[in-house]
Amino acid sequence: MLAQQLANGLFLGAVYALFAIGYTLVFGVLDILNLAHAAIFMATAFAAIALVGAGLPLALAIAIAVVFAGLLGIALDRVAFAPLRARNAGTLVPLISSIGVAIAIGGVARGLFGPGEHRFPSGTLGPLGEGRIHLGALAFSGLDIVILGVALALMGTLAYVMRATSLGRAIRAVAEDRVAAALLGLDLERTIALTFFIASALGGAAGILIGLQYDSVSLEMGSRIELKGLAIVILGGMGSITGAVIGAFILGAVEVLSVAYITSSYRDAVAFGVMFAILVLRPSGLLGKRALRTA
Amino acid sequence: MLAWFAAHSKLIDQIGINALLALSLSISLRSGQLALAQAAFMGIAAYVGAIGAVEAHWNLPLSLVIGSLCAAIAAALLALPLGRLRGVFLAIATIGFGEIARIVEINVKATGGAEGYANIPNDANTAWIYGTLGITGALILIFERSRAALAIAATREDESAARGVGIDVTAVRFGALVAGAALAGCAGVLYAHANYFITPSDFGFARMEQILVGCVIGGVTSSLGAVIGAAVMTILPESVRFLADYREVSTGAILLAIVLFAPDGIAGLWQRRA
Amino acid sequence: MQLRSFTFIGLLAVLAPLATLAAGGPMTGKTVKIGVVADVTGSAGAYGTSQKNAYDLATDDLKAGRIDAGGATLTFDIEDAASDPAQVINLIQKFSTDGTALLLGPTLSAEAKKADPIAVKANLTVLATSNTAQGITAQGPCVFRNSLAEEQVVPEAMSKAARAWHPKTAAIIYGDDNQFTKTDFEIFKNALEREHIALVDTETYHTGDVDFKAQLTNIASKKPDMLVVGSLLEEAVKIVVQAKQSGIKTHLIGGNGLNSPKFISLAGDAGTGVVIGAAYYLGNNYAGNRGFVDRYKKKFGTGPDQFAAQAYAAAQIVASAVKNGATASDQFCATFKKLNVVQTVLGPVAFQGSRDVRAASAIVRVTKNGFAYF
Repeated sequence: MLAQQLANGLFLGAVYALFAIGYTLVFGVLDILNLAHAAIFMATAFAAIALVGAGLPLALAIAIAVVFAGLLGIALDRVAFAPLRARNAGTLVPLISSIGVAIAIGGVARGLFGPGEHRFPSGTLGPLGEGRIHLGALAFSGLDIVILGVALALMGTLAYVMRATSLGRAIRAVAEDRVAAALLGLDLERTIALTFFIASALGGAAGILIGLQYDSVSLEMGSRIELKGLAIVILGGMGSITGAVIGAFILGAVEVLSVAYITSSYRDAVAFGVMFAILVLRPSGLLGKRALRTA
Repeated sequence: MLAWFAAHSKLIDQIGINALLALSLSISLRSGQLALAQAAFMGIAAYVGAIGAVEAHWNLPLSLVIGSLCAAIAAALLALPLGRLRGVFLAIATIGFGEIARIVEINVKATGGAEGYANIPNDANTAWIYGTLGITGALILIFERSRAALAIAATREDESAARGVGIDVTAVRFGALVAGAALAGCAGVLYAHANYFITPSDFGFARMEQILVGCVIGGVTSSLGAVIGAAVMTILPESVRFLADYREVSTGAILLAIVLFAPDGIAGLWQRRA
Repeated sequence: MQLRSFTFIGLLAVLAPLATLAAGGPMTGKTVKIGVVADVTGSAGAYGTSQKNAYDLATDDLKAGRIDAGGATLTFDIEDAASDPAQVINLIQKFSTDGTALLLGPTLSAEAKKADPIAVKANLTVLATSNTAQGITAQGPCVFRNSLAEEQVVPEAMSKAARAWHPKTAAIIYGDDNQFTKTDFEIFKNALEREHIALVDTETYHTGDVDFKAQLTNIASKKPDMLVVGSLLEEAVKIVVQAKQSGIKTHLIGGNGLNSPKFISLAGDAGTGVVIGAAYYLGNNYAGNRGFVDRYKKKFGTGPDQFAAQAYAAAQIVASAVKNGATASDQFCATFKKLNVVQTVLGPVAFQGSRDVRAASAIVRVTKNGFAYF
């Protein structure tokens, strides 16, 4: 049973990782906690349903929805963060601003789609949705494998971009020291916009994958994962992408193991407890930037 | 006039309680701490006060004292491990604390869990709520004229400089957190005694967000702003009911507008004009 | 000759008003305002929408004479509380002070426990149509309920299941942060004890969870003869589907959170064989139900769920009370207490001394063709 629970945790962790990367990217570059990330996560899932419902094949719908998420991220920056950057507003105000956008996106989604659960039109998944694959004592579906694959592919692409492209270098430079990067001639606004594009596209992809995995898209799906995403980036370290990935898999494992061995009622409390302990003992998390005052 | 009041007394009570909550958050914010645990402190005090009133027949004043004391103690205990955290990290830690508190409330037998806690004596009427609000307002006004208020503002603006002029930053932060928690605790006890029935979900992240948004809309750095913001946030859902499912868009839009164009909130706008 | 005409005209003059009376009924000309608080939007929006639909249909049916209110006009003033307890409180206060004769609702038990006392203080009679928690009617001498409480339905469902399946062990999975599902758990647990079935595993989830594999893997390893699902609709569908995926082949039983045509359409194969203890069965043959179901389908595009049926039944009960002369709050209170059996889409119903409803429950089983009596 332990092996099956760990397998459950693996699939859970992969999607959590995609979502958490978005938080940590934005924080690393701008020192902002973007609370609209979860709203984009949710909105993209709805967008994917709408596209499939309009007749597009699943792969195309996902691609378009992910691009939509990225563009929504850029728009988010333009509306809620850029004006505040221009007047040097600190870190609390953008947080509030992002809450405003999150509420607005949620409101629009509620108006357009209504409460309750929404599903992808039946037959969307084709043969993927059926059938179980058995590997020794483990059982999972074809869909699980595909989602894990897509998540890993996206993370791998991101790693490549960050390490080997000029965009990646630019993002890392801005994250390191925004003023110096600007002095060195980097186009700050363009880099920031692209950071938001990537972060939101990944978060949106996570939304679609979770929606497919559990056959459920609802207005509340964002708030459920939002707090978990926070716990993950704290665990892994704010600003560290690798940390977010590691943190996500750890959280996935902790969640399923607490259900298996402690009790399911306190599952979330365990996750938050871990996060709380990290903040008290080692706020920079496993791999993150310094978060403490050394005074 | 009196008839209108009687017909809307519950709404007026809600505004009063939300104003107390907004004030409690503004104390934290004005000391530079984004401590988002007001809803949790409210919940702790609400349950303590409610259980005491039902099981031990406390009257309202006793509930208030013990409830807010418990909230203050919780804040004091929290301030110790979180004292070194700043900014977003403090926010996340306090949100985590809030979630843990909520989960404990759901699972502990004494609170009734998810089924809620009922039959709370309904003795917190408008007089009590606005009386508390009035006393709080008076205390804050007196306090704002004192030196301690300068210390708080200094801590918010520039911590190192404040330390430099001899301000005990740790004590200031601790004091602000505990005072805010005590106030949130009062609001919690009043809420329980005004509502017959409480459940853990009354005190979760959604409530915290509502308090925060209200505080920001009204104006973070002024007590009047907190009260105005609370009033706006309480009345808004009632007045935009016609928007049906699009209701929330109005809240988000107003919040964004305030943040972008009127960062000191409605109170700030009013003061600017004056 | 002239005398005969006069007599004829005289008779007409006397009989004519009597004729109009007979055509309209004893309450013609009276208007009764009924306040409805429902969560039409917000997280409980699906339930409140069903209720609103039912009242809209009831309004049509009253006009068309299919529901008989003795000729009176019933207006349903439906206000949306948006699943926000604060708004429920404010709306109920509004209805308590504006001359409303009767309050129907609110949608959720937690809302009722917060706000019904306001109505009770103002002597406004309340008829709950969808509250299933304990202690609802105990809140006041004029608080009534026409929704069968889980504690009235579950024991019957459990004894039927015990007789049919002879389970020795059972596991329960339920939502620990929702009043309805938590109460469901307590009631099912007691019913299991009464039937001497051993509880080998208890798992919990949080409202809104979508992944139950960890809990179900635990349950599968304990191999229970029966799995009790204490859930609302959406989680129940996923639990049932994921249970099948986790290899759980045991009997499944649930409460009225699962009682909706949507459960069948969404759970598909995984839902076949699930037994549900409910208060309403879409296919029942009680008076007027078939017509109700058809008209509802035609007007709203989908079959009525339990919320709609209970709301419509409430309208029928109210009409019956109005026909018996009730137009004000205290009259409704008195009339409900004395009401004889009313024929509704839920079957014949009456109020017990506790002001809870006496009605038949519908223990149904999911088959390939829909629900069927178990």
